[in-house]
Amino acid sequence: MRLSIRESATFDWRRFVQARLPLVGVGVILVFVLLAACAPFIVSDPTEIEMRREQDGETIRPPFAPNSRNLFGTDQLGRDIFARVVYGLRTSLIVGLLVRGLSMAAGTMLGLISGYFPKTVDDIIMRITDIMLAFPVILLAMTVTAVLGPGLLTVCLALALVAWPDVARLVRGQVLAIREQTYVEAARSIGAGNWRILLRHVLPNCMGPIIVAFSMGIPGAIMYEAGLSFFGFGIQPPTPSLGSIISDGRGYITVAPWYPGFPGVVLTLLVLSVNLVGDGLIDVMNPRGAKGSGNGQSSA
Amino acid sequence: MLGYTVRRLLQFVPILIGLVTVLFALLNILPGDPARMMAGPFANPDVVETIREEMGFDRPLWVQYLDNLWDLARGEFGRSYQSRRPILRDLLEVFPKTVQLALAAEVTSALIGIWLGIVAATRRNGWADRLIMTIAALNLSFPLFWLALMLQIVFAVFLRLLPPSGYGAGFDQFVILPAITLALPSLGLLARITRAALIEVLGEDYIRTARAKGLREVLVIRRHVLPNALIPIVTTIGTDFVRLLGGIPIIEVIFAWPGIGKYAYDALVFRDLPALQASVIVLAVSVSLVNLAVDLLYAFINPRIRYV
Repeated sequence: MRLSIRESATFDWRRFVQARLPLVGVGVILVFVLLAACAPFIVSDPTEIEMRREQDGETIRPPFAPNSRNLFGTDQLGRDIFARVVYGLRTSLIVGLLVRGLSMAAGTMLGLISGYFPKTVDDIIMRITDIMLAFPVILLAMTVTAVLGPGLLTVCLALALVAWPDVARLVRGQVLAIREQTYVEAARSIGAGNWRILLRHVLPNCMGPIIVAFSMGIPGAIMYEAGLSFFGFGIQPPTPSLGSIISDGRGYITVAPWYPGFPGVVLTLLVLSVNLVGDGLIDVMNPRGAKGSGNGQSSA
Repeated sequence: MLGYTVRRLLQFVPILIGLVTVLFALLNILPGDPARMMAGPFANPDVVETIREEMGFDRPLWVQYLDNLWDLARGEFGRSYQSRRPILRDLLEVFPKTVQLALAAEVTSALIGIWLGIVAATRRNGWADRLIMTIAALNLSFPLFWLALMLQIVFAVFLRLLPPSGYGAGFDQFVILPAITLALPSLGLLARITRAALIEVLGEDYIRTARAKGLREVLVIRRHVLPNALIPIVTTIGTDFVRLLGGIPIIEVIFAWPGIGKYAYDALVFRDLPALQASVIVLAVSVSLVNLAVDLLYAFINPRIRYV
């Protein structure tokens, strides 16, 4: 028997479609996902090196400026930057989803437990989140990747490790309100166990904020991965990452501004689009709340 | 109020112990032998052993951990493996520079953000308002390190207006680029909050009264609107300042700003446990003090709030 009544997560698609900016975000993300998914069929080999090229009867050396063959130009080894960026997008999207998936799963789980079970359990989990939140995020993530050794998976683990406490806090807050509802009491009175109540009645009713938190956390994960890779603590070659392409391009700023420039534009566009979708989701999930609310809350 | 402050400060003690514990655990799994790092690549094994004994690296881990905690409890940060100087002296040198940078960035962001918000609110639905709010909606979500790089290209390499990186005497031309990079991402949020707060107050009866008695619009805004719209703005500046501190390590490394963020980064690269630990503690304490200050300020500008 299902007793859960969804109160918070009323999803109004019309509102989402009416707002134009979130739709633009969805469009950009779709293009990026398509590019990343079909990368091998669309772009040339990102590792192909070309050390010289004939142009107007002259031999020129890389980095080549953007031209009809290399949309974003090439790097110092003549590798096509567009191809590298597309493969880098792949990494960014995988990291964004994986990190957010991991941190949401862990954070939701611990938040549910923390909000529902007795005070001692709650206290322990909340003190751990206090400790994690006190760390400077980028330094903790760097330290963890330094310990685990850099790489795609360790970067994801490190970023999930720094991201879960926020989720746990959010979910806990929801649970505290929901567990006092009459339907929870009703479920308990007909003999439902704690876990059944949590998963069947409490969790479905926190889905609204959880979905919003999922989308709002993706840009951060993508940016931190790029940041880590930029500083050499993240994803290592040959796996392409937008952050490490930008880092490689740093030294060529004056002779080849397209080299660090384009990967950054793409990264910014991606982050921006996911943010816009997240903003749209907030408006849709919470029709009464004005735009921009939820920011600037005091923690007192 | 005083009791509240003291309690908030006391709450931070267990958090600090947890912080130190997590860091100690992480850094002892880190590959790399600190004694060998200190001795240098060509030192003979005897020297490495001597350093190991001198620094106490040969003791069991739990003894090292407790010893470390006890040192910290006495305010003893130890010596840096890298510079061999007392860390406290290093920190006293680098921390003020971080404060300079953070203040410069926050003042920039607050002034421009609030100004944009006022412009948008007073010309509601005009082209300026629409432009500002569209920019605010885009959230200026640039990756900090890339934004820094682009500003360096434009202002240092092409226009040659500002130095690309480094540190001068303090509030001079060197601070401009890093401060702007840190400030840019928060302009949108501040503009949005300021606009919303102003528009709410502009609809109040006492504003109509002020206008009806013939007060000039500039004075209406300055005397009646701004003070009453201050609470959400100040709170936002506070939370924004905390966000800004999170970006400090990235910015300091890119702009070669010799502050505590760069100090921590260098310590991590060199596996300099005591220096990294000390700088993480100082950063964490600063963030929580800013949080506390914001909460107290909140009560100060809104007398209806009382912390007990």
